[in-house]
Amino acid sequence: MQDFFDKALLAPLEHLGRQVLAILPNVLAMAIIIGVGFAMAWALGHAVERLLRVVRLDHLCDRLGVNAALGRGGVKSDPSQIVGRITYWAVALFAMIAGLGALNLKPINQFAQSLLAYIPHVLVAAVILIAGYLLSNFISQGVLIAAVNAGLPPARLIASLSRWGVRLFALAMALEELGIAASVVIVGFGITFGGIVFAACLAFGLGAKDLAKDYLERTLLGRGRDRSPDDLRHM
Amino acid sequence: MGSHQMKTQDTQSAKPSVSLAEETEARLSDIRQADLLVGIPSYNNADTIGHVVRAVSAGLAKYFPEQRAVLVNSDGGSSDGTTEVVARSIVDYGALLISDQQSRLQKIITPYHGIPGKGSAFRTIFEIARRLDAKACAVVDSDLRSITPEWIELLLRPVLDEHYDYVAPYYLRHKYDGTITNSIVYPLTRALYGQRIRQPIGGDFGFSGRLAEHYLDQHVWESDVARFGIDIWMTTEAIASGARVCQSFLGAKIHNPKDPSADLAAMLMQVLGALFALMEEHHEVWLARNDSVPVKIFGFQYEVGVEPVHVNVERMIHAFRQGMDDLAPIWEQMLGREIVAELSPLRATSPVEFRIPDDLWVRVVYEAAVAYHGRVMPREHLLKALTPLYLGRTATFVLETQGLTSAEAERRVEQLCLAFEERKSYLVDRWSGRPRS
Repeated sequence: MQDFFDKALLAPLEHLGRQVLAILPNVLAMAIIIGVGFAMAWALGHAVERLLRVVRLDHLCDRLGVNAALGRGGVKSDPSQIVGRITYWAVALFAMIAGLGALNLKPINQFAQSLLAYIPHVLVAAVILIAGYLLSNFISQGVLIAAVNAGLPPARLIASLSRWGVRLFALAMALEELGIAASVVIVGFGITFGGIVFAACLAFGLGAKDLAKDYLERTLLGRGRDRSPDDLRHM
Repeated sequence: MGSHQMKTQDTQSAKPSVSLAEETEARLSDIRQADLLVGIPSYNNADTIGHVVRAVSAGLAKYFPEQRAVLVNSDGGSSDGTTEVVARSIVDYGALLISDQQSRLQKIITPYHGIPGKGSAFRTIFEIARRLDAKACAVVDSDLRSITPEWIELLLRPVLDEHYDYVAPYYLRHKYDGTITNSIVYPLTRALYGQRIRQPIGGDFGFSGRLAEHYLDQHVWESDVARFGIDIWMTTEAIASGARVCQSFLGAKIHNPKDPSADLAAMLMQVLGALFALMEEHHEVWLARNDSVPVKIFGFQYEVGVEPVHVNVERMIHAFRQGMDDLAPIWEQMLGREIVAELSPLRATSPVEFRIPDDLWVRVVYEAAVAYHGRVMPREHLLKALTPLYLGRTATFVLETQGLTSAEAERRVEQLCLAFEERKSYLVDRWSGRPRS
């Protein structure tokens, strides 16, 4: 009976106890790493936010139209706060991965390694999206002004097309960078973009052939409708 | 010109700031010194430059027979034989009753280096003036059809005999000729710098050798100001540096229509960009000025009939309204909501009653300058977005001056100038960062 008690009950408990004792330093290390990591994340996020306020990032984003776009998207935080929060969560995520790594468990290590290897792709994709967003605003504003100055009635439509064209392009690039259904994205983007160009060609060729004829005559042959309806000299 | 801003003239020891072609260097060594210099920048002007060269040659021979004079053609690589026309052009002095010319006119035909444009052509002309130690200089456009020998006297004599540093042109123009000058450049320049120079971007100027040297010493030659806004830069720089300025009445200015004027937005961007950039550079000068003074006009003034100008007001109003419909958010960003709200009723006004009042227009221009200074959006966008507003204001001017004589229309321009001057405190406040009042 005593032997059964020792083998059946105490031995597993002893084994479990040894395992717990063996893993306890790792768990403790994980707790310390995660705790310190979160503290550092808080400090770094706070410092980044303060620094960005000092360099007037919010003012710059306001001029670039980023704040207005965030407001339209229901985001009430200002850009400095958003970047601070992103910094906080990036450092916290890193600390959690490092903390889990301290457990020295094979599946967790593999997961942590693959997650770390993926982070550069996420960063590149984020940069592509931000750059694409800013570029789309800049280009669409320029297109809108040029279209109005050229007297084209659908100026806003042309500007919107240019804005969403650039954004679509940036999104396709970002998804490809993340490796999310890369072939589907490329094919989808190709079909969409090609379709838009084809539709525009058809629309212009069929719906505005007189305009096209007039434009080509004026451009290539220098005839047709008078370029300047009045001869007022501005300079 | 104030002596504190002037460099001591020391052409012997001064190092050349602009590289010149070898042939030009050789010609300068031959000529060594000149009293007068007239520069003609050119680029594919073979059709018109012959007349300009003959007028300059006759003017120098007739009015300055005892002075050593040089004609400089600074060419941007013409492919239509412009330089050959300059070399070939000769004047029949006998037919012009000129017999006492004592020194032969020297011609220098030189290519210019640097970024393409009138600015680089002028830089080469200034450098040659410095090397030759010229006392009085002038530059005239190569596409002028109305230039006469008298222009040369009127541009050079005030410098030579009256010791002025800068002579701006004063032309007779149709009331609808030069509308950017009338509605923005003249009133703004006058309100800012306090000198009533009627044609700040005329294109034909006289200046002293000292001022040419001052121009050369400025660090603008690689910038867009030198490329696109050299005329307004020369005028503004002359005033801001304390130079003695005057004007000369030249009569009508008739020249070839410039093809780039087809793109009004680009032209407006170049002129306003230069104007606003100069405001930033010389803010200490204009912030201290509160009024304006008349600038002396030399020459015999007369009235002359000018060619009628056909204006399509409906088209301009339509352009303004499309701007109001499509660009209102951009205008709000650069001009403020109050101004756009004041412009908004014009969307529905009948063409006959369409008016952008003086005070509102003045605030539009001042706010645009402040927005440019504050970089509230890409500067190219800001300047080009002003085009429909400018067309709206031009339509207003045309509607207000229909049936008026040129002199009466000129009084209307004068009223606008006074509005710019009266509202200058608004600009000063806004420039200093104070909120709109």
